[in-house]
Amino acid sequence: MKLYFKYFKIHFKSCMQYKASFILSFLSQILVFFTYYYTILCLFDKFSNINGFTLYEVLFTFSIIQFGSSFCDSFFRGLDQFDHLIVRGAFDKLLLRPRNILLQSICEEVNFIKLSKVIQSIIVLVIAIIKIDVTWNISKVLTVIFMLISSILIFFGLLVLAATYCFYTVKGLEVRNVFTCGCRDMAEYPIGVFKKGVIFFLTYIIPFGLVNYYPLLYILGKSNNKFYMYSPLFSSLYLIPCILLFYKGLKRYSSTGS
Amino acid sequence: MNPYISYLKLKIKTGLQYRAAAIAGISTQFFFGMMYVLIYLAFYESNTSSAPMPLKELISYTWLVQAFLSLVYLWTLDKELISSIKDGNIAYELCRPQDLYYMWLSRILGDRVAKVLLRFPLVIIVCALLPFPYKLDLRIGLINLLVFLIALILSTILATVLILLFHIICLYTLDEKGIVNMFMVISEVLSGLTIPIPFFPKYLQHISNILPFRYITDFPFRFYVGNIPLNEGIISIGIQIIWIFVLIKVGRLLLKKALKKVVVQGG
Repeated sequence: MKLYFKYFKIHFKSCMQYKASFILSFLSQILVFFTYYYTILCLFDKFSNINGFTLYEVLFTFSIIQFGSSFCDSFFRGLDQFDHLIVRGAFDKLLLRPRNILLQSICEEVNFIKLSKVIQSIIVLVIAIIKIDVTWNISKVLTVIFMLISSILIFFGLLVLAATYCFYTVKGLEVRNVFTCGCRDMAEYPIGVFKKGVIFFLTYIIPFGLVNYYPLLYILGKSNNKFYMYSPLFSSLYLIPCILLFYKGLKRYSSTGS
Repeated sequence: MNPYISYLKLKIKTGLQYRAAAIAGISTQFFFGMMYVLIYLAFYESNTSSAPMPLKELISYTWLVQAFLSLVYLWTLDKELISSIKDGNIAYELCRPQDLYYMWLSRILGDRVAKVLLRFPLVIIVCALLPFPYKLDLRIGLINLLVFLIALILSTILATVLILLFHIICLYTLDEKGIVNMFMVISEVLSGLTIPIPFFPKYLQHISNILPFRYITDFPFRFYVGNIPLNEGIISIGIQIIWIFVLIKVGRLLLKKALKKVVVQGG
């Protein structure tokens, strides 16, 4: 952890060297983020609900997913750029150092511009929580915290999985981007509104549903199943096979030699 | 032969080589198209009375946008062009006897046409064969089809002219993020790429009717699915042509100004 913060400081300093460019990019990211939920706002302007879920309930699931996604995008950016590491041959350099290899890859890059999305998703979340029609108690607050943490963990897991993929293909990440981004965009809505196949996929294959949909049912009181409260924690188990696969891929790694 | 046309042909031929990229592109378009369709279906299941567009038309619209995405999307910059601005290679281009503006225009246009030629047939065929609620409805009258084709060609040119304008702004800012990015985001939303104009709140509908962006995506495809009547479509074609001339004028003016004080970056 200490190591990470040291890298963090270095990246922050280098970023601050170009202040004007940084501020402009930061602002443009805010606009980009706005387009994400523009569609949702437009649709709810015309329709009052989506299969029984209201605007603020959708914004709630939306912001939980966006929070995890953008958090990983900004702080674990190094993993996202993993193919560059391998193509450039810079990964060999990391292997020589006596520190955890995963941690080092993460530290390669921190993206402060994407931080604007993290901040915005928190704002949207707060608005949604205020507007949602729920009587809050301790277990429900705990559920929200579980959701936030597990959202980060599941996207972290997916990033590790994508990085593992690089060991085998060196390049060609586009397809998996489509896959994860597409699934993420769907999971921004409460997945219960979709057809059965989609629900199955987002519950068992990529468990986004465990992160935001099932806990939402618990919070709204639509279900009294206690298990739903803890379901975000179960989704975190997803991380374990991802990390194991990463180390398995690592053994197979041979340098590109450049 | 006209140098710009041969330049355009050259670009199309190069573009047609990237078949593997096209397959990746097609699968992306399917996936995202399907995603939107599923989301719309969920919305329409709960209430149809307040919808500004019938579901069938909205789904056909979504698939048409995906099939012709390479012609109408705006969030793109030619990386070679941008780097030529940044690293000073633009100096070579300035040496050539052709007009820089039309050279760049045919280059971007060729790129987009090649991309769409590889992608749209498959997307259209498969989507037309899908079962009922997901299906792309291709039925259209002959006159409407002709008007649609003219509108699509004009909207392609309009989109290219607009993108070229983004590149010219880069000549001023020397940075392809920041301001240029903001322009691209706004124009893409207002063009109706994310969601058709009738879904916009009222005041935004008025704003986007004045601006050129909706004539790129919203107009041609909404016309195809039958959401815009024929006489309005013909008027809109006139507006498209006017916008193309205005934007070319503005682009050339800005380019001329920029080139007067151009500082070639590095050597």
